[in-house]
Amino acid sequence: MSVSRDEVLRIAQLAELDVDDDALPEIAEQMSRILDYVAQLSAIPTNGTVKTFVPGPDAMRFRPDEVAPSPLMFGPAQFAPAFKEGFFVVPKLGQFE
Amino acid sequence: MSQAWETVIGLETHVQLRTRSKMFCGCSTSFGAPPNTQVCPVCLGLPGALPVANGAAIGLAVRGALALGCTVHPKSIFARKNYFYPDLPKGYQISQFDQPLATQGSLSFLSPERGAVTATIVRLHLEEDAGKSIHDRFPKATAVDLNRSGVPLIEIVGGPDLRSPAEARAYLQTLKQLLEYIGISDCDMEKGSLRVDANVSIRRAGETALNTRTEVKNINAFSFVEKALGVERDRQIALVESGGSVSQQTMLYDAKESTVRPQRSKEESHDYRYFPEPDLPPLVLTPEFVAEQQSELPELPGQKRERFMAQYALSREHATVLTASRAVAEYYEHVVRAPAEPQSAANWVMTEALADAKDHQEQLRVSPAALAQIIALVKGGTLSNQAAKRVFAEVASKGGDPRTIAESLGLVLVADTNVLAAWVSDVLGAHAPEVGRYKNGETKLMAFFVGQVMRASKGKADPKLAQRVLEEKLSA
Amino acid sequence: MSDARAVADRLIKAKRLNALLTPAKDLRKSLLAQAEAARTTGVLYGMPVAVKDNICTLEFTTTCGSKILEGYQSPYEATAITKLKAAGALIAGKTNCDEFAMGSSTEHSAYGRVIHPLDKARVPGGSSGGSAALVAAGAVPAALGSDTGGSVRQPAAFCGVVGMKPTYGRVSRYGLVAFGSSLDQIGVLGRSVHDAARVLSVISGRDARDSTCEDRDPLRLPTVPESLQGFVIGLPKEYFPAELDPAVKRACDRAIRMMKELGAAVREVSLPHTPYAVPTYYVIAPAEASSNLARYDGVRYGPRFDGHQDLHALYRTTRGQGFGPEVRRRILVGTYVLSAGYYDAYYRRAQQMRALIAQDFRNAFDRGVDLLFTPTVPAPAFKAGEKLSDPIAMYMSDIFTVTANLAGLPAMSLPIGRVKGLPIGGQLIGQAFLEDEMIEAAYALERVVPATDEA
Ligand SMILES: [Zn+2]
Repeated sequence: MSVSRDEVLRIAQLAELDVDDDALPEIAEQMSRILDYVAQLSAIPTNGTVKTFVPGPDAMRFRPDEVAPSPLMFGPAQFAPAFKEGFFVVPKLGQFE
Repeated sequence: MSQAWETVIGLETHVQLRTRSKMFCGCSTSFGAPPNTQVCPVCLGLPGALPVANGAAIGLAVRGALALGCTVHPKSIFARKNYFYPDLPKGYQISQFDQPLATQGSLSFLSPERGAVTATIVRLHLEEDAGKSIHDRFPKATAVDLNRSGVPLIEIVGGPDLRSPAEARAYLQTLKQLLEYIGISDCDMEKGSLRVDANVSIRRAGETALNTRTEVKNINAFSFVEKALGVERDRQIALVESGGSVSQQTMLYDAKESTVRPQRSKEESHDYRYFPEPDLPPLVLTPEFVAEQQSELPELPGQKRERFMAQYALSREHATVLTASRAVAEYYEHVVRAPAEPQSAANWVMTEALADAKDHQEQLRVSPAALAQIIALVKGGTLSNQAAKRVFAEVASKGGDPRTIAESLGLVLVADTNVLAAWVSDVLGAHAPEVGRYKNGETKLMAFFVGQVMRASKGKADPKLAQRVLEEKLSA
Repeated sequence: MSDARAVADRLIKAKRLNALLTPAKDLRKSLLAQAEAARTTGVLYGMPVAVKDNICTLEFTTTCGSKILEGYQSPYEATAITKLKAAGALIAGKTNCDEFAMGSSTEHSAYGRVIHPLDKARVPGGSSGGSAALVAAGAVPAALGSDTGGSVRQPAAFCGVVGMKPTYGRVSRYGLVAFGSSLDQIGVLGRSVHDAARVLSVISGRDARDSTCEDRDPLRLPTVPESLQGFVIGLPKEYFPAELDPAVKRACDRAIRMMKELGAAVREVSLPHTPYAVPTYYVIAPAEASSNLARYDGVRYGPRFDGHQDLHALYRTTRGQGFGPEVRRRILVGTYVLSAGYYDAYYRRAQQMRALIAQDFRNAFDRGVDLLFTPTVPAPAFKAGEKLSDPIAMYMSDIFTVTANLAGLPAMSLPIGRVKGLPIGGQLIGQAFLEDEMIEAAYALERVVPATDEA
């Protein structure tokens, strides 16, 4: 199995990552190698009943419904790259996009 | 043209849960705060922040699921739905995917075309809301407010069981009523606390298979539901009848133009790459927790309607009107318990009380005890129906005791036979020819005499008593 | 307090290692202020602790070794930092690391590679390479790192210091910038077992802000034992393959002999799914990373790169130019394995394999083994640039460490000798939430093993 250039571009689009045309062959080659390498997992017989495993508590704890925001030492105006009249500002996005 | 076609509609409804704080952080959910002031590291999606679930939101979601007759799963899983959008701070929405909170419920409602219909509820799951993108605030730029980011929602996915836009509206109305009833949401479409997307397809009457559907979005007021779906149905029919075919796409409703238009979508936008949210352990519900939510549920509208019909001998129509809202139903029962005769109480609540409430921000301004007293005054012959309505209006606007008001307005009927006898003598004296005809067997003239007595008394005579006095005098 | 000045001087003297990202001026100023304010009754009063740059602090910027967070000042601090400060510790600057902790050499930092303190041609390991190098150079007694697949233990082994990764859920992750959320834990690098353990004890314990943090009291430190009498140490045979570096093998054998002499029972065990650990890890970690790193989009914080004309250009250039090549590679692989049609073949399969790997450990512990002993890394520190063009060779550096992350178990590396002057680490893997037993054994071994002698 190998990842094609088109597939890299499709994935890059999903991940919203610019990929240089020049870098494309190398990225495709490296992704292919990594994916070929991890593909050995699908060669192992695991019947569908094998459970998955996640560490950590077996059940989530519930937070009480209280207005108690986690502390924020300063507001968005001080870390946002573009902030105006209380809003984050991004390049226009059509309403019907 | 629509005769040959059947419409198939399924609604996906997003409902904001009535909590003080957000789904995964302690920020306030109150509406209308200045932009980006109800935010914290968690709902801003800052590096390193983590979600912690709000137990009250989970409780309300379980209540919703129980009210819809769903199977509530003892274990469900939160999942990440990945996509990029400026008002989605983490680049993913915490939602539920292949192991939702609840599945397999139903909602019965009254279809304007088919009568009682039971629609399936496929699933109900918890998720967090995104923020708000505002496109008309700045030229060439989009403004983002994250106050709403992280507000708790449930998504209720209905099956493709609705057969017309009007039916979809009735379904939504019933769902809204139910959710308001159980108090889990204020269901205010204008504030965005109830949002609906619709899957729409058409098929030839008699067909059973489902055809390609479109998703209609941006239906942001209750009154648009029927219109938007009608427009999309007509578009599909026209398309197919002119030899085209429906393609699976998202259509956005434009209320101003009353049109739908396809969303400009990039093909990748539907690969959400769901996977289990590693920041949250499984949502495990103990039987005690579910039982507690069950015990918090009030009598549901359907159950209440049936009980009203049985207990108060009301017609289905009357029972439906009286149980349409929890407040009205409770008011009615208070009037009956005051006590008042159930049918009279129903008539009064449905007419005077609801009309008054409609003009006064849904306030039921006359106390149940006062209304019961007014009904009793009519029944006891102290007030005429007309006079009672005036007393009701007076109590509604100024308050006070109905009898005192009736007396001060001079509306109490005169039941003193001496006074009545004087009016009767005057009337009989002034209408000798009619008296003669009456005595010759034309007894239907009694109504005429009663009317004349009422006129002479300026409406104050108790008509029943007046009739008795008339009968006595005429037979003498 | 003159100590704060001395602390700053020591850190600044280690500048040639490029291990510290905090400018000298900021560091001095902050350390003096912190020393003034430090709680004198705290158990770590006055102890300087350097902090990996992927843990949020109010004192200094938090860049994760990435251009995409250049100059980012967090408006809140990690729970671990709050706990350290409450114990009187001084936050002694932020340490260089592989970008977003993705790497095994600290060469993948946007702010330049970290130099191995003993050989400038070599890497200090990674991704917590800056923390390891500073501790090894004697600039601080302890430093925080993060360990997703070995990022604390592997650089500890390479630099000849102690590195501890607690049980998943022992230390709050609130404020640790997420890489692989189901694998990440904050860990500690220390010049001795005790230095690492006392810091770990302070940062451990419940936190209402992290749902995956267990509701448990902080770790209690054991006393230094006289012997290892009663301990059963398992040697998983899959961790001692024929191709293991002979010097590493010799150092391990020597440590094993010493544990026996201390009274421990040693027996071979098998963890049969070990060969699948690295591929499993390199599905799960990138998958989670691809989602965790979606928030770096230039909308709310961090610099914007070119492409302001439309939203997609903003996203794509900010992310395309803000992330370095290894991070981009992992985001692409992670996006791929989660995308439609591939989820079952990769992600689900990896989650199933993860369960089998965790079961291997349970089986070993169920048979009476208390702790496992293994080499931390198959070979000593490699040369800078040696593995940059071969991601899989780089990934194999994690082969003995990723299993503890996959199974959520506590593990640590301690120095057990040297080869040609380069340190070798031995790894202890414990049972969930039994860090105290692991630390007890490490105390005993540390006292007898000639950590700086050639093996
Ligand atoms: Zn918040």
